[in-house]
Amino acid sequence: MTPSGASANHEIDVHGLARVEGEGSLHVAVRDGVLERVELEIFEPPRFFEAFLRGRSFEEPPDITARICGICPVAYQMSACAAIEDACGVQVDDRIGRLRRLLYCGEWIQSHALHIYLLHAPDFFGCRDAVELAALDAAVVQRGLRLKKLGNHIMETVGGRAIHPVNVRVGGFYRAPDREEITALIEPLRRAREESLETVAWVAGFDFPEIEADYRFVALSHPDHYAIEAGRVASSDGVDATPAEFALLAVEEHVARSSALHSRLNGRDPYLTGPLARYALNEAKLPKVARDAAARAGLGPVCTNPFKSVIVRAVELLFACDEALRLATDYEPPEPPAAKVVPAARAGAGATEAPRGMLLQRYELDAAGTIQSARIMPPTSQNQLTIESDVRRVVESGLELSDAELTARCELAIRNHDPCISCAAHFLDVSIDRS
Amino acid sequence: MTARVVVAGIGNDFRRDDGAGPAVARLVAASTPAVDIGPIAEPLDLIGRWEAAGLAVLVDATRSGAPAGTVSLVDLGDAGARSGSSTHAIGLDRVVRLAQVLGTAPDRVVVVGIEGQDFSDGTGLSAAVERAVPLAARRVVDLVTEAS
Repeated sequence: MTPSGASANHEIDVHGLARVEGEGSLHVAVRDGVLERVELEIFEPPRFFEAFLRGRSFEEPPDITARICGICPVAYQMSACAAIEDACGVQVDDRIGRLRRLLYCGEWIQSHALHIYLLHAPDFFGCRDAVELAALDAAVVQRGLRLKKLGNHIMETVGGRAIHPVNVRVGGFYRAPDREEITALIEPLRRAREESLETVAWVAGFDFPEIEADYRFVALSHPDHYAIEAGRVASSDGVDATPAEFALLAVEEHVARSSALHSRLNGRDPYLTGPLARYALNEAKLPKVARDAAARAGLGPVCTNPFKSVIVRAVELLFACDEALRLATDYEPPEPPAAKVVPAARAGAGATEAPRGMLLQRYELDAAGTIQSARIMPPTSQNQLTIESDVRRVVESGLELSDAELTARCELAIRNHDPCISCAAHFLDVSIDRS
Repeated sequence: MTARVVVAGIGNDFRRDDGAGPAVARLVAASTPAVDIGPIAEPLDLIGRWEAAGLAVLVDATRSGAPAGTVSLVDLGDAGARSGSSTHAIGLDRVVRLAQVLGTAPDRVVVVGIEGQDFSDGTGLSAAVERAVPLAARRVVDLVTEAS
């Protein structure tokens, strides 16, 4: 942060944002009391995944793309499988679909518990990190750690290991877990559901800045359930598209300051994916236990206060525990564990809901199944323009704050969306310039 | 009563020299009373696995610029011992602090490093790191023996 002498001028530089994923920085310039510029820079080096997927076999994207992120590898695996299966015209067995959803619930539980308890909550208590929060309330942090551990355990049980699961393949799984292995998850999930109910009540008591945003929400939507691993792409202004159609609607552009591409709907409009979008578009599909908890927490059917994303994330944590419990209780091992997939010279697209937002992949294959082109749209690059708008709103409403307070508010505004800069590069230094 | 001693290899066997930590941990667990609680992919996963330990030895590949195979030792009880900054994950020094605040930290945490040179995809350690594995294991066994 660079303090200045003149109170009407601010220049905030946050170099190396903490508690977000990846490497980036934020520059804010205020001149004569007027906000001049907000720039979220992503300087994590481009990672060229799309380039080195070209020429690889159609069976490889689940394992290669999982390496993009250690927090949401399942999202990459599931979107890759969906895209390749779309290209090859394959529909998987419902049992495979349910097992994928269970694995994905594990990722939601571990990622949401990590973000809520260890990365986001410390901001609301004025703590620098989870260590300080634990000193204030050890029992709460221990609850978060238990929830995260259970998410990891589900991923190990279904995916073979918690980080970069090894049991996922195009068409399904290499091996279906035994019924006993899945049944052993039921009791821990019952406890986790109770603890996630406590989580919703806990975060609802945080002190939130009164800021509302006019978001254009984009999320998957499914007629039967709260969409995670499948669905059509919907938006708050009427988009209803297949993932392949949406890949044409979302135009990505490169800007000099960022190694992440910026996405615009129809080449024009910024949009937001993630918990706020999913909740706004699919709230009615949540199970009663989650809708009731949301109502008790004061949420209406749509939440446009980005700081309250922590409540929505907690409601989704509760949903994921409840859904995983239902899936584990009804589990029938798929036989065979994977559908046969024969490559076809076609293009296919697949989209799923990573914990932090919709993740879309598109591949073109030749007849032998060799990848001719690949496109990966991670949620953070889709959200980047909207995150910048959030920061602009926060600065405009907080010009009377000190540089230190404004910097903290800016960092929180970015963390509201749990950005994954590593995924997007293709986090965060903040600078406020009032000079 | 003998204090519980745990050892954990940090790393990935499928990224060549990154598998040095798990290789050492397997050797040590096979020849001492130390319990292998690894492999560990992210430091936060240590919480819940190392409870009630008198000593935790973490073995990891390093990339400091030292010659490949160099074995180093850092006692996280030492003032100033800090892991590099991370983002979604929480660094090892913060995990140790968090565990201390929660009252679940081992009495002593020691990191044994082996300098790697090849972190590309695939299995098998480079020759220099392969030669260093028994040396690092010896250092860990000495720590385990001392604690036991």
